[in-house]
Order: sequence, then C-alpha cells, then structure tokens
Amino acid sequence: MSAATLAVGTDRPTESQWAVETHGLTKRFGPNVAVNDVELLVPKGCAFGYLGPNGAGKTTLIRVLLGLTHADAGTMSLLGYPVPRHRDLALARVGAIVDEPRFHRHLTGRQNLQILAAAREPEAKDRIGPSLERVGMQQRADDKVGKYSMGMRQRLGVAACLIGDPQLLILDEPMNGLDPAGMHEMRDMILSLVSEGRTVVLSSHLLDEVERTCDAVAIVDRGQIIRQGPISELLAGTSVEVQIECSEPERAGALLRATPFGGHITVGVPGIGIALAAGTGRDVVAEINRILVEGGISVYRLQQMQASLEQWFLQVTSRLGAPE
Amino acid sequence: MTTLAPGAVSLPPPVPPALRADHRGSWVPTPAMIATRFMELRRRRGLMIALVLVNIGIPSLFLIVRLLAHAFAPKSYGPAGGYQIYSNLAAGVMFIFGFIIAATLGCTAGSVDLTEGMFRHLVVTGRSRLSLYLARIPAGLAIVVPLVAAGFTIVCLVCVFAAPTKINYDGDNVPANLSLTGFRTWAGEHPDHVICDFPYQGNIAVAVQCGPNGPVSVGPNGSGVIVRGKSPAGTSSPPHVSAAAVKALAEQIAVQDYADYKTQFLYPSNTLMIQTGLWLELEAVIGFIVGLGLASLLGQRTVSVILMFVLEIILTPLLSTAHIPHLINLQRAVVGLATAHLEPSALPLPFGGGGGPGGHAANLVPESTLVAVLVIVAWLVGWSALGAWRMMTRDA
Repeated sequence: MSAATLAVGTDRPTESQWAVETHGLTKRFGPNVAVNDVELLVPKGCAFGYLGPNGAGKTTLIRVLLGLTHADAGTMSLLGYPVPRHRDLALARVGAIVDEPRFHRHLTGRQNLQILAAAREPEAKDRIGPSLERVGMQQRADDKVGKYSMGMRQRLGVAACLIGDPQLLILDEPMNGLDPAGMHEMRDMILSLVSEGRTVVLSSHLLDEVERTCDAVAIVDRGQIIRQGPISELLAGTSVEVQIECSEPERAGALLRATPFGGHITVGVPGIGIALAAGTGRDVVAEINRILVEGGISVYRLQQMQASLEQWFLQVTSRLGAPE
Repeated sequence: MTTLAPGAVSLPPPVPPALRADHRGSWVPTPAMIATRFMELRRRRGLMIALVLVNIGIPSLFLIVRLLAHAFAPKSYGPAGGYQIYSNLAAGVMFIFGFIIAATLGCTAGSVDLTEGMFRHLVVTGRSRLSLYLARIPAGLAIVVPLVAAGFTIVCLVCVFAAPTKINYDGDNVPANLSLTGFRTWAGEHPDHVICDFPYQGNIAVAVQCGPNGPVSVGPNGSGVIVRGKSPAGTSSPPHVSAAAVKALAEQIAVQDYADYKTQFLYPSNTLMIQTGLWLELEAVIGFIVGLGLASLLGQRTVSVILMFVLEIILTPLLSTAHIPHLINLQRAVVGLATAHLEPSALPLPFGGGGGPGGHAANLVPESTLVAVLVIVAWLVGWSALGAWRMMTRDA
C-alpha cells in the first residue's frame, strides 16, 4: 500500500485519511530539541514503523502525541481530531504503550484493567475478558502484576490498549521482554489488528520485526524525520547485492571486474559478493552466471539479495555520531 | 524530508454517540472511577493493616488491657471506661491518630499512580486529568471516614459500658446522675465526707474538725458527733455537735455544689459523642485532602508523609499554644489550631495542654469560630487546587 497515494489533492473539507498528522511539531527540553519540526503522516489502516537510533526522539514524539507532555510548537491531530483541543475525543479511540508498561503491582492484571476501563466508556468493562484472551493472558489475569514477567506486562499493556476498542494503537517497543515465540505472537496480533482496519504505529529498534510487520515507516534522527514512506518504495532505491558461492573465487572476481556491470566486488572464502546499483534487473544476474560458467568456474549457489530495512536504515542514518 | 504529501483540509470526524454520552472531558469523576480507585487503595494490604492497627488496634489494646486489669484487680485498677478515659482518648489519641492515618492514605492516593507508572495509562484514556484527581477524594474518604468511625465507636462503647458506677467528686465516690434532691439526701447520709471534702463558700456554723486529725465520724445511735484527735485550740475536750446540725450542714454544702456536680459525668453524653465524632472526622478529612494535594504536588509519598507528620506533631502544637506577637496571624492560619478551636468544649486540649471542660481554649492562640472555619476551608480548597493543578500540568 502506498501512503502517498492516499493524499487527496483538493481543498474541500473532508474527513482526514491520516491516523496521525503532525505539522511543524517541536518539543524542547531546555536547549535540547527532542522533536524538531516534525511532519508526520500516518495513513489509516496500516502498520507504521517509527524507527530511529537511541535518543532520536521517538518516545518524546509519542508522548507529545498522546498529551503526556505538551508541544512547544506545531499542530497535530489523531484520527482526525485536533490535539490537544479535542484530546478527549481523539484518545477515546487510541490505545498506547509508552516505554515499559507498568501497573499497580499489588493488583491483579484484571483489576488493573478494571481501573483503566472505568476511565473509558462503560462498554470498556465488557472488553476486559476478550482483551485478556486475545493477548493470551486469560490464565494469569487473576495473578498479581508483581508476579508478572516483563513479557507478561507487555501483553497486559496491549490488553490495556484493546479495552478501548482503539482505531489507533501506538506501541513503543512492544517486543521488549518477549521471547521469540512471544514476538511471533505479537507480530501476528499486530497484523490481525491491522487486518481489522485499525492503525498500528510501532516504535521499535528491532528493524527486522518492523520490516516483517509494517507497511510503511518513518526514520527519525535527532528529532527530525529524515525519511518516510512505504517500505517497498524506500527499499526500491537501495543497492542490490548478489552473493555467489563458487570455485576459484579470486579468478571469478577478476573475471567479473573485467565486465561492464560495475558495482563493488568483494572476494571471500566461500565465494564473492557483488553490490550492484539500485534498479539492476534480473537479466544482469543471469549474465553474471553465464560469464562465470563460460570461464570454467563452478557456480554452487547464486542469490540476489534485496537490501534489508536494517541495511537501508544504516545507510540513511550513517551520519550518526557526526557533529551537527 | 517527507515523501508524503499532506492531505486536504480536513474536518474532525463526527463524534460517535457512545463517546458523546461518555463525557470524557468532564471534570466530574464517574462512579466507576471512584469505585475502582477505592478498590486500588483498599487492596494495599500492608497499608490497610497499618492504618487499622494505628487507629483501631492501639486504642483497643489500651482499653483491653484496662478491662482485664480492672477485671482481675478492681481495687488496684479503675474501670476501663468512663468520661475521663473517653475525653483523654478522644482528644489525645484519636485526634492525632485519625489525622495520621488520613494523611498517610491521602499521600498514598496522591502519589502512587505516578510512582507505579499507572498515571500514564490513565492519561492516555483521554479522561480529564481533573476528574482523575477528584475521583481519589471520595474513594479515599470512603476508607478514612469508616476507619475513624470504627475506632471511635470502640472507644465510645467501652467508655459507656465499662464506665465506673460512681463519680469521683473531689476525692469522694458519689453516685452519678443524682437530682438535686437525691444529691442532698446522699449528702445528709454522708455528712462526714461532704463536710470535710466538698468545697463550700460560707461559714460553717458547727464545730467540726477535719484534716490531719482524721475525719469526722457520726456517734453511736446518731446521738452526736465526736471529733477524733486533737480538739481545737483552747478547748479541753472534743466538742459535741448534734447529728441534725451536721446533716443540715452537709445538705447545705450539697445544694451549693450541685451545679458543679452536674458537670461531672460517669460517661460521655450522646451529644458529646456525636460532637466528638464529627470533630474527629473533620480532622481526618483535613488530613486526607491536604495529604492528597501535597503528594500530588510533590509527586512522591515518603516526603509528603513526613511533612504531614511534622505539621501535626511538631508545628501545630508549637504554633497553637505559643503566643508570638509578630506571627500571630500566621499562627491563626495553621489548620490544626483552627480545628482545635472547633473542639467540643468538654474535651481537653488536643495537644496535651489539658485545661478541662470549657477551659482549654484559653491556652490556644485566640481565634474566632468564623476565622477557624475559613482557615479550614482555605486549606481544603487550596491544597486541592494545588494538587489538581500539578496533576493537570505534570508530564506523564
């Protein structure tokens, strides 16, 4: 799905198609600008990854969006409601986990949800059971939270989001503390929530998880969004790598360097790797194979690798650590 | 920068009917919010046990020990109940303890959402922060008020049902609740005690000697009075006074003392118990609401509890009784002084100053009842406003 295609080119007032919309959003802590003139557009009905290195301002932006702290400048809206003017209406259909989910330790998971449901509409109370069941906490719902593991508190945090029947979920590092099976379940749950028409904003440093889960991403660095868009479109602009396992890697490298394909060739023990320019077609890979075979080199494996989100993330944030 | 074009000028979506009826932005907390907040506080087992021990356990233990001691050695230990025990327990123990438990609970209610990370979840619901704050007040008072009432009820029950059967009036045991005629009759039957021990303003016409030479005793067959011991100076033998004259004198003294006798109680009256109960509840409500506001303002419990204890145990007694000319108006603004001025007059000064019925106010920094009421209202409203303001502006 392309988020860009959702933009409507008309000035006629209409219901917003953005689950989250910010313009010029800025938040300062003294001299430090944690959120710097952020323009963020999250389409409704998708899983949206919000990525950035530590200290980039991810959590601060979420806190500003949710009204946990005030913005110094800019405008924002959630589900079409301007915030903070219609904060109560906007948050009525928003569920969020910010930082590590913490609850009253002396109460059970169910009792904690009862407190949160009481602050929502009356129907929220009836959603406690189904929410606990959905996150797999039904069996432990009547244990005290003090006995919960980190992963169980994460699940309870998601259940706390679900009791509001949210159209928008904002999850800050929801995979933290989850074991591999738990991460798999969380991923499936996020996808199922999106399939129900809800929007999920996922802030995470686990790029692999984001790539598997999200349709679109935004990269934030030093408080500013430096890229955003559908993952497929963003990755389309990255280089293509071809990995080849073969006999005589040195000679294979020499053969390929003599060809006009260009690209950066690295020679290793099992074979060679070739980094080709973005947009390189499959016929080029076939031509590489042909050259090697005609050169008398045995090709055991040849694989075209699309750059991962992680590689792309490292490319676009490569100036990390550099002075401003 | 962004690769996504912003959308068209957009309107907020229509508000769903369920949300419109929800009044989420209202400052009024819902019954469900109050009920769950009550549950959250009540299920703090350690805190609840501590509060019950302090406000009910300690007075009960004191009364149980007195009951047992009196049961096993009634001549050595007086009755467990009675007016004196009641007034001392109410003004000296329940007043302080009620405030302390209420303040502790208030500080807990005002800070735990923050310290335990629940505040953030609550804010994200979109519910008005003011209503989140206000929900704590009825929830906390629903614990504090019954707790204070329970402790005070135990004190009242013991003091009424285990009260002594006789009043100790100026050193003598006198039956309680006598009418003027009854008191006169009793005095005529016990002239020696009355003449020698009861206060009397006037001339005693009969020659009776009390004091170091022993009490007066009625002679055999009521024939006369023999004063034992030394005779008055200048006489060679003890004077003989008729029994009728002694009886008449005793009755005369009783009539004069009856007004004072009437103020001596075997056990507290219903009116006094109701007044005391309301006064103790007022003190507890103040403790809870001020503690709630202070803890919400500071964002933590321990410091708030310490400050509340210092206010109640150190500052209030000092500022209520020490007359400092240049700070007199500041002293009048102390809430503990204001509540002390509203204390039922039959109770002693709550800060240990004593003074007896009607007389304790003389030890306090002077303050009119109106000013006292205004000071209390100002503390309740002021601390609630501060706590609510901090809750509404705090980063979650």
